Amino acid sequence: MLEIKDLHATIGGKEILKGITLTINAGEIHAVMGPNGAGKSTLSYVLAGRSGYEVTSGSVTYKGEDLLALSPDERACKGIFLAFQYPVEIPGVASATFMKTAYNARQKYRGEQEVDAMEFLKLVRVKTKELGIKDEMLKRAVNVGFSGGEKKRNEVLQMALLEPDLMLLDETDSGLDIDALKIAADGINRLRSPERAGLIITHYQRLLDYIIPDFVHVLADGRIVKSGDKSLALELEEKGYAEMSAA
Amino acid sequence: MNTLTPLAQDYLSRFDTAIGSLPGHQSSLVTTARQTARDIFARQDFPNKRVEEWRFTNLASLTKGIGDDIAEVPSASASIETPHVMTFVNGRFDAGKSSLDGLPDGIRLTSLAAELDAGNDSLINNSADHRAVVALNTAFMEDGYVLDVAANITLDQPLRVRFVSASGSVQNARHMRNIIRLGDGSSLTLLEEHTAEDGHSYFANPMTDITLEDGANFRHYKLQDENLVAYHLANTDCLLKDNATYENFSLAVGAKLSRNELTTTIVGAGATSILNGAYLMRGQQHSDTTTVTNHLVPENDSRQVYKGVLDDDSRGVFQGKIHIAENAQQVSGDQLSKALLLSDRATMACKPELQIYADDVKCSHGATSGELDEDALFYLQSRGIDAVTARKMLIEAFLADAMDEISDEAVKVYFSGIATAWLQKA
Repeated sequence: MLEIKDLHATIGGKEILKGITLTINAGEIHAVMGPNGAGKSTLSYVLAGRSGYEVTSGSVTYKGEDLLALSPDERACKGIFLAFQYPVEIPGVASATFMKTAYNARQKYRGEQEVDAMEFLKLVRVKTKELGIKDEMLKRAVNVGFSGGEKKRNEVLQMALLEPDLMLLDETDSGLDIDALKIAADGINRLRSPERAGLIITHYQRLLDYIIPDFVHVLADGRIVKSGDKSLALELEEKGYAEMSAA
Repeated sequence: MNTLTPLAQDYLSRFDTAIGSLPGHQSSLVTTARQTARDIFARQDFPNKRVEEWRFTNLASLTKGIGDDIAEVPSASASIETPHVMTFVNGRFDAGKSSLDGLPDGIRLTSLAAELDAGNDSLINNSADHRAVVALNTAFMEDGYVLDVAANITLDQPLRVRFVSASGSVQNARHMRNIIRLGDGSSLTLLEEHTAEDGHSYFANPMTDITLEDGANFRHYKLQDENLVAYHLANTDCLLKDNATYENFSLAVGAKLSRNELTTTIVGAGATSILNGAYLMRGQQHSDTTTVTNHLVPENDSRQVYKGVLDDDSRGVFQGKIHIAENAQQVSGDQLSKALLLSDRATMACKPELQIYADDVKCSHGATSGELDEDALFYLQSRGIDAVTARKMLIEAFLADAMDEISDEAVKVYFSGIATAWLQKA
């Protein structure tokens, strides 16, 4: 599904990603772990298409297509979803309006029927119920006045609604207490399927107790220095990043 | 001696002839008022950049004489249904395009020209006003609406007054004088629209004089959608007595150069002045919002929120003065001006000014101008919303908290529709 080859990327002239190669197949969940400053968030932003990052060499192929040639909204419409580490507050835009616009943008892009406000409400209520989110949140402005936990749950709600093929989860566990973490993980696990893939970016092993990855990679200084199965995460937790990166 | 601007010379040379045919010419009171105003204007000319209150708005392109520029005629982008409509075409009341039947008892909505010609000359009382643009209006006022509301009258549906510039006009200036008085405890909504059905350049110079008696509640909404080669210099003065409420919302999308100057004077306890507005400018448009709020007695409130969206080479000006007199204790005055610059060539000038002579008051002012939030833009795009739609959503959101201040639901929908249509032209 996703093939990253020798990816180099800079921001403001400073090289952050220094040659990343990673292949993610449908049905697989990969975890990328690493210390602060390793380039984890940069990787997720480059994949989602945020401006300000320059890819200096390498390639990213998504479903056989050059991902880097697509705008962020095209990537989203083609099934990529980035759950933000810090979801953005947007005063003046109601959550329900935002999500309906996003939902219909994707429907339109795929040549499928757009939904009206009533139909959308039905759709979203099924998801909020599953995720234990109060409907009242839909009336509030996007992420404005949300607690850290609410913001992350809102990300998972959007993801459940948009049903992406490739989930990019950037530090989804940060700022969550254990109950919120379980709900978020549960929401993500519901989306796991043989057709979908995921890339979980995390600093701590904690989230991986709830979302069991198929592969774990250690990212340090812009490179993947080690790859393995889920036991690698536990090893990391025990030994720390310094030792693993040096290995 | 300074030489007067060509446009001022033109006005002054025409004055003696014009005065004989302008409404109220039979009244010595009106004639004296016009002559006094003429003299005030002649001493000042149009304000230039050396006049502090006009530092940011340069009238040079107007005062050299209105050119023969022609603009594309804007098409109506939204509509509103109201039972009562009064229409002025090229500055003159047009009964055929008005529908004023069935107004409730106690509400009179008439034409100023008709009132003056009928000898009701006591309506004109501020001839010594020192402001040049107001003096010009007094000297040359030709028509306008007179709204007189008795005590304790409530009308829920908005009255609508339309000023339309239509083709076939020989004159290119309109000096409208509007006079509004709401009696004790009355409550009313008025929607005032300035639009064009013709692309010729013109100079609109409306002056509106409002008196709100005790407990009156007046919601005054103004749409400025003049054609893009027009000039629009408007003054609105409002006097608030005990427990009166004045709510003004001005939406400006039109004119080459416009200034909306609002002066509220609070002389009553428990009174509230609410001035809000939004201006959406592009191309070479210039929009100036100038407010003066005078708190002359204790225990009353004023607040203002203005939002501007500036694209291309457009220019916005906000000047807001809050004056609190020495004895005016326990007064609150809040003011906020925010501008969104969509182009790096668009500019915004902002001058908040607090003159506080009392010591027990609560005042705030804030002024910001900035670009669209890149993080928010990326967030929306990352959910599949294309860049153009995402920008529109963020601009509408930026305007929303000003628009939400419009307490009349039908007008809010109407103005929001106009703003949305403006965004769609981007």
